[in-house]
Amino acid sequence: MIILDVTSGSTVSLVLFFGTIGMLALTIGLIVFIIFHQRKVIRYQLRLQRMEQDQQKLLLNASIRLQEEERQRIAADLHDDAGPLLATARLYLNENLVNLDKTTQLQSIYNAKQIIDDTIQLIRNISHSLMPPTLKNFGLESAVNDLFQKISGSGSMNASSRFHDYRERLQAENELIIFRVIQELVNNILKHSNASFIHLTQNTSGNKFFIRLHHDGRGITQTDFNKLNKSNVGLGLKNIQSRLKVLHGQIFFEKDMSQTYYKVTIELVKEEATVPEPGP
Amino acid sequence: MKQNRGEGLGVIFFYCCFSWLTESATLSLVHLDIPDAIHDSWFTIIEFAVISYFTWSSLRSRRLKYIPIIGAIIFYPIAIINFTKEQGSFDTVPASMEAIFIITYCILLLYEQINNPEVLFVYNTKKFWVTIAFFIYFSSTLFLFLYARSFTASEYHKYWTINNFFEILKNILLSVSFIIKKMSKDPYPHNLSSDI
Repeated sequence: MIILDVTSGSTVSLVLFFGTIGMLALTIGLIVFIIFHQRKVIRYQLRLQRMEQDQQKLLLNASIRLQEEERQRIAADLHDDAGPLLATARLYLNENLVNLDKTTQLQSIYNAKQIIDDTIQLIRNISHSLMPPTLKNFGLESAVNDLFQKISGSGSMNASSRFHDYRERLQAENELIIFRVIQELVNNILKHSNASFIHLTQNTSGNKFFIRLHHDGRGITQTDFNKLNKSNVGLGLKNIQSRLKVLHGQIFFEKDMSQTYYKVTIELVKEEATVPEPGP
Repeated sequence: MKQNRGEGLGVIFFYCCFSWLTESATLSLVHLDIPDAIHDSWFTIIEFAVISYFTWSSLRSRRLKYIPIIGAIIFYPIAIINFTKEQGSFDTVPASMEAIFIITYCILLLYEQINNPEVLFVYNTKKFWVTIAFFIYFSSTLFLFLYARSFTASEYHKYWTINNFFEILKNILLSVSFIIKKMSKDPYPHNLSSDI
C-alpha cells in the first residue's frame, strides 16, 4: 500500500517512505558496524595476547636452555677437571700401600695433597661462579666492583664501576638477578663488541633504580634487541629479558648522543631489603 | 525470571506489561469514546520516563548519566503543555522529541557497551537487545510521528501499519533480551586463549 502510494507520487508518502527506510538503514548500519568493529577489536586483542604468549614461550625456552647449558658446564667442569684430579690423588695414595719406601711414600703423599688442594680450588671456583660470595656477603656494589676489577686486571679492557646511591641494599634475590644481568651484558661486550672500555654507573631517582653501562665497541640498539628477542637467536638477551621480567624491570639499548658510545640502561622499581629479625 | 535478576530488566518488564495494558485498555474502552490521542499522550509520557530511567541506570559514566536527566527536563514541560493544550490530536511534538531523545540514548548505551572491557561480545548482553529494540523502533517510526498530525483518518490507518510492524519487531527483540542467557562474569573464556 505504502509502496503503491510512493509510486503514485504523494509528497507525504515519499518523505515518509524514504525517511523511514533511511532511518532504518542508518540504524541497522550502525548496529552492524558496532558488531563488526567489536569483533575486529577482539580479534586484534587476541592476536596481541597470542603474540605475548609466544614471546613468553621464547623467553621460557631460552631460560630453560641456559639452565641446561649451565648444568652441562658444571657437569663438564666436575667430570673433566675434578674427576681426573681426584683419580690421580687416589693413585698417589694407592702407591703408598704398595711402596714401603719412606721417601717415596712422603713424596706421593705430598703430591696427593697438592692435587687435593687444586681440586678444592677448582670446586671453590665452580661454587663461586654459581653464587659469588662477595655478592652474598657484601652486596651488589662489592660484587660488581670485584667483577670489574677482575676484568681490568686481565689487561684486555679498562673496566670501572661507580655506585652513586646504594646505601641500602636491595633484596638478596633481586641483587642476584641484577648481578646475573650485568654479568651477561659484560660477557656480551667482552665477546662481541671489541670495546676498549666499559663503565658502569648506578643511580636512583625517586623509587626508580638505574644501572647504566657504557662501552665504546660495537653494540646493539633497541630495534636490534627487539628483533633478536623475537627470533630464535640471542639466547643471552632473552635470558636478560626474562630475568628482568621477574623484577618488573626494563632494559634499553641505545647509542650515545655523540654516536661514539653504546649505552645500556636497566630500570627497576626499588624494593628495599627487608631487615631480618634477630634470632632467639 | 531468575536469569534476568540483577540485569536491570525489571523496568523493561514493567514497560512491556504497561504497553500491553494500554493496548488492551484502548481496545476494550473503545465504546467510551475517549480519543486515541489521549491514550497515546499518556503512553508517550510514561514510556519516556521508563526508557529514561533504564538509560540512566544502565549508563556507567557519571558525565553521561546527566544526559537522560537533561532530556527529561527538556521533554516533560513540552509534553505536559502539549497534553493540556492539544488533547484532540496526535501528540506529534512530544512523540517526535521522545523518538529523537531515545535514539540518542540508544547510541550512548551502545557506545558504553562497546567500550566496556567486561563485555566480550556485545550481542551476548541483555541490554544490547533492549537497546537495539528501542533503537530500531524509534528510528523507524520517527518520520511517522512527525507526519501523524497531518494524516487524514484513512491515511492514519494506512500508515499506522508501520508502527504496528516495528512494535512487533520491538517486542520480539525485547523477548530475545529476556530469553538469552545471562553473560558470564569472565569476559575471556579459557578456550579463547591458549595456555602456555
